[in-house]
Amino acid sequence: MAGGVALALLLLLAAPSLVVAGASLTAGSIVQFPPEGLSLRWYGRVLEAREVRDALLRSLEVATVCTALAVPSGTLAAIALARWRFRAALAIQLYLLLPFTVPLIGSGIGLMLLFGELGLLGRVWPVGIACCVINLPFMIWAVAASVNALDPELERAAASCGAGPVQTFLLVTLPAVAPGILAGALVMFVLALNEFLVSLLLVDARTVTLPVQIYTQIRGVITPDLAAVSTVYVLVAAAAVLLLDRLVGLEIFLRSR
Amino acid sequence: MAILGGRPAARAGRPPTTAYRLSWRILDALEAVAARWPARAEGAVKWLLLGPALAVVGLLVFGLVVMADASLRVMDFRTYQLGEDYSTANYVRLFGWGAFHATLWRSLLATLLVTLFCLLLAFPYAYALTRTASARLRRVLLVGLFLPFFVGQVVRAYGWLVILGQQGLVNQALGLVGLGPYRLLFSYPAVLFGLVQYMLPFAVLMLAPALAAIPEEIERAAASCGASRGRTLLRVVVPMARPGLIAAALVVATLTLTDFAMPAILGGGTNDFLANLVHDQFFRTSNAGLGSAIALVLTLLGTTVAGLLLAAAGVGALGVRGAR
Repeated sequence: MAGGVALALLLLLAAPSLVVAGASLTAGSIVQFPPEGLSLRWYGRVLEAREVRDALLRSLEVATVCTALAVPSGTLAAIALARWRFRAALAIQLYLLLPFTVPLIGSGIGLMLLFGELGLLGRVWPVGIACCVINLPFMIWAVAASVNALDPELERAAASCGAGPVQTFLLVTLPAVAPGILAGALVMFVLALNEFLVSLLLVDARTVTLPVQIYTQIRGVITPDLAAVSTVYVLVAAAAVLLLDRLVGLEIFLRSR
Repeated sequence: MAILGGRPAARAGRPPTTAYRLSWRILDALEAVAARWPARAEGAVKWLLLGPALAVVGLLVFGLVVMADASLRVMDFRTYQLGEDYSTANYVRLFGWGAFHATLWRSLLATLLVTLFCLLLAFPYAYALTRTASARLRRVLLVGLFLPFFVGQVVRAYGWLVILGQQGLVNQALGLVGLGPYRLLFSYPAVLFGLVQYMLPFAVLMLAPALAAIPEEIERAAASCGASRGRTLLRVVVPMARPGLIAAALVVATLTLTDFAMPAILGGGTNDFLANLVHDQFFRTSNAGLGSAIALVLTLLGTTVAGLLLAAAGVGALGVRGAR
């Protein structure tokens, strides 16, 4: 019976994505049921629509800045926490978890006021920094899992073969935790691409990101070109899930901690 | 020179393979720098590695300080600047403000209902996920959990607009048989529905490890002692899954209480939550002081619930087991 309920819920979870993808393929000019026929013309319209295209480019910039900051800072922190003893280890962990315990609206407003004082509002790259701030624990999580799985004997073996600390780090430690780093980078990139509330607070009319653009447009008439853009998101998400499965295996999330 | 002879360098042959490679030279240089590192400063290395992450999260802490500061200043509507003097006027105003109370109760009631529904629905999903013998079903259920997580809230809310809107698919389908159109959106139930659908994957992911940790033999033992299927679930599985249920409830509760997108999109401004009230204070009435005060109250509420979660789940929530 649980299986039946689960399948019904699966349908509920998938419904918005499936409908959006279906709606984007309509040949007609409104989203309707039954559809008027199949066509890819709304995807072409998206490429022509300047506002949407620019918003997409901005979102890619945000995601790139976020990932570029998160990968080094998160990786180094995870390695440091797993390999060294800290006197205030508990306090450090709680501090690094703050982005998850502080609600998004709180972090968003705080960063908005802070960036306002620094004169950074209305630019695109600070949004990427903000996305890194609010999602950093995911990066640390992903790398920490890989570091914990790495046998410290390997590093000691490298050292006893004459490798210096830099060589050991670059040629043994980093390659061993690479799957964790990649998984973390992927999660950070996709989440930044999707980030809505913090973007909404930090951007102005000239620097809207794609989720904010979709949000402003759906308050008007629902047209299939938005469905086309949204389908791009669904496809990116699907690719991310498949990659993540390859990198770390989704079943890892079922294991008890 | 022969046409096929190639360049002189090629004829001379590559440098002997015993030559010291450039990458080795670079590594050696780096090692030399590392060796210069004074032994006394050995302990500083770990802090240097941790530094960037501490700085990134530091931005958040700075932001909260600026927000707390703003919440203690009163907006001067002649100049649209926050006043110089500190006062608790914003908090006093919140206390007696009808709209704030209504929004607070609406958010809290929604949190309670969404949490209940999510737990009820997440349990069978997580149970099927951890107990199914079919690897393919498990895979499909897992992908079904992660896909929405990466699709994002706005796109998912947009999907529901297409399905449930006035000219949406449901109303069009009903129209074919001469019914409707019904107003399915921009109501409290619509917001609750969207939230349950959005929070379900989080609840399942918190619950699944707890269910996976319960040995199936225990369920079989209960059955062989004559307990019915329902009795086994209620008296054995649910009590043993309690930590997971609590964790799931707390995650869903914090995310629901502080949500912005679902009330904004599926509520259409008629069913705002606290986060929407904060947004309106900043972007409609331009009252940064009052908006900061609400945001701070909400932050404290949310952080308390999340703190309970950490206490329940145990620290080490970052997945760091510590130095060995």
